[in-house]
Amino acid sequence: MDSIVNNKMKRYLLLFLFVIFIAAPSAEARIYLDINAPTFVQIPIILAKWKSADKTSSPFSEKVYEILKNDLTLSGFFKVIDAQHLPPPLREKEGIPEASSLQEWAPGGGEILLAGETLLESNGLDFKLTFHLFDLVDQKHLVGKQYEGPLQTVRSAVHRMADEVVLQITGERGVQNTKIAYTVRQGEGKEIFVADFDGANVKQLTQNQSINLSPAWAPNGKKIAFTSYLRRNPDLYLIDVDGKNLQLFSRYPGLNVSPSWSPDGKKIALMMGMEGKSEIYLIDTNGGNPKKLTKGYGNEASPTWSPDGERIAFVSDRSGSPQIYVMARDGSNVRRLTFEGSYNTNPSWSPKGDLIAFCGRVEGHYHIFTIGIDGSGLRSLTSNSSNNESPCWSPDGRYIAFGSTRTGASKIYIMNANGLNQRGLTSSKGGESSPAWSRRFE
Amino acid sequence: MTKKSFIIIFILCVGLIMIGCPKKTAVKEEPSVKTEEATKAEAERAKEAKAKEQFEKSLVAKQTPGVAGEVFESSLLKDIHFDFDKYDIRPSDGALLKENAVLLKKYTNLKVQIEGHCDERGTVEYNLALGERRANRTKDYLVSLGISSDRVSTISYGKEKPLDPGHSEEAWAKNRRAHTIVTAK
Repeated sequence: MDSIVNNKMKRYLLLFLFVIFIAAPSAEARIYLDINAPTFVQIPIILAKWKSADKTSSPFSEKVYEILKNDLTLSGFFKVIDAQHLPPPLREKEGIPEASSLQEWAPGGGEILLAGETLLESNGLDFKLTFHLFDLVDQKHLVGKQYEGPLQTVRSAVHRMADEVVLQITGERGVQNTKIAYTVRQGEGKEIFVADFDGANVKQLTQNQSINLSPAWAPNGKKIAFTSYLRRNPDLYLIDVDGKNLQLFSRYPGLNVSPSWSPDGKKIALMMGMEGKSEIYLIDTNGGNPKKLTKGYGNEASPTWSPDGERIAFVSDRSGSPQIYVMARDGSNVRRLTFEGSYNTNPSWSPKGDLIAFCGRVEGHYHIFTIGIDGSGLRSLTSNSSNNESPCWSPDGRYIAFGSTRTGASKIYIMNANGLNQRGLTSSKGGESSPAWSRRFE
Repeated sequence: MTKKSFIIIFILCVGLIMIGCPKKTAVKEEPSVKTEEATKAEAERAKEAKAKEQFEKSLVAKQTPGVAGEVFESSLLKDIHFDFDKYDIRPSDGALLKENAVLLKKYTNLKVQIEGHCDERGTVEYNLALGERRANRTKDYLVSLGISSDRVSTISYGKEKPLDPGHSEEAWAKNRRAHTIVTAK
């Protein structure tokens, strides 16, 4: 039985390696679909014990090891084998092995081996990290890289290392160096927060006690647009990612909510209520030049751009119930996308352009779905007896973040785009909603 | 003349006198009618003053952290309620809006804001759109009753400010509402 499973895994691995090293980058799309197929098998990867080259920094190398292990686990692509769970001779083995000695690792049960070492410079301020990746099936070296920098950047360096491992195995860089913005209920209000992809570095961006809603990253990753009731009207504001430079920029009477940046960063699509009901508008990023795109048939909500900037998906209840529609960026060629169910909202266009994730109601509960841009391939990704809302894509399109009440108070969750590997983002008490995923930070 | 007939005459005389009496008072009636009218008007004025006092007393100043300005709420301004995912005014709620309109006509300095609220089901953004529609439908109703539209502003809170934090049908029914606050008095 074991050998059958192993052979199957080897076939997967060989396929990946073949694609990575022989096929051109154009094959990436094929890999992406493979990874998100329901039958995807996680690759077993051994994380050998890390070596401290300077001998005094083993707590440091242990910290690096833990961040890396967490990153690879969260990616959803690996079955991570911790050094502690290896047979005794391998458990304490550290440092970079020779390619000729790779068969020693066979009892470990992995197909990939990751070994590395840390060095704390004698000034106590800088570090150096080296890692090497090996294919244990073909017994060869895949890649080796070194990272160095001041100590406060170590977390980011480890994320980049994990991204590199994901690139080697799946053909596309990971999203360990991304952030997620979201709202947290505090008293009567909601505040904007930002956390790293792994839930670390939670930072509160607003502290105004108002109702702050729907954060949206600027494409350059430097600013976040959101709605706030500070002036007793839902106006749109901009804030820097460090929480500085709060700037009011759209204050038309009524709604100025649900901002979505065009991919080129020049326009913002949003819901505005200046005519007494919500319509989709485009405005400049200084708030000027409002242009109405929808024609006043119903309540129009939640615009989201296609990655090529040519189209906008949105919600309309013009048919009598909220459904997802698609239109050209000038408001022409409106087409209804969803026909199943009587409550479909919160569309989010995938970075690859082929799918739209949305929130739909099924038997009184709200769930996350994806649907092809041609209306085919409707797929349900959540199925518990709780509410799951506000899906948004990771910049590589391989994950979806969303809000869920599965443990009581609403919290942010992340899953692979096929619905597998669902996990909470932070360890907070709850009250979290409306996640928005940043671009990759270099 | 017998003693008996004397008594009869006496009774008759007394009777005549008594019949005459109302005539006499009827002459004096005019000034007393004036007093009653004045009293009535005065009572009316007092009633008005009392109503005004009552209305003013009913205004409770309210400040919300993180939201600019001091506003007032009054138990005399009635909330109305909506069906799930709907924004039309229920026929039975028209009477409540008429009461609100009477107050607005009486106190011409009043400016109000209609808040549109939703229950917790569904998404933040779609509920903001729904709340916007509920607030504006309510405003339109007041305007149709003769209230100037510049005295009535609107705001949608979507599902962000539930009246009842519960998760039951009962709580949801309470939360789907248009609430009127006073922004100037």
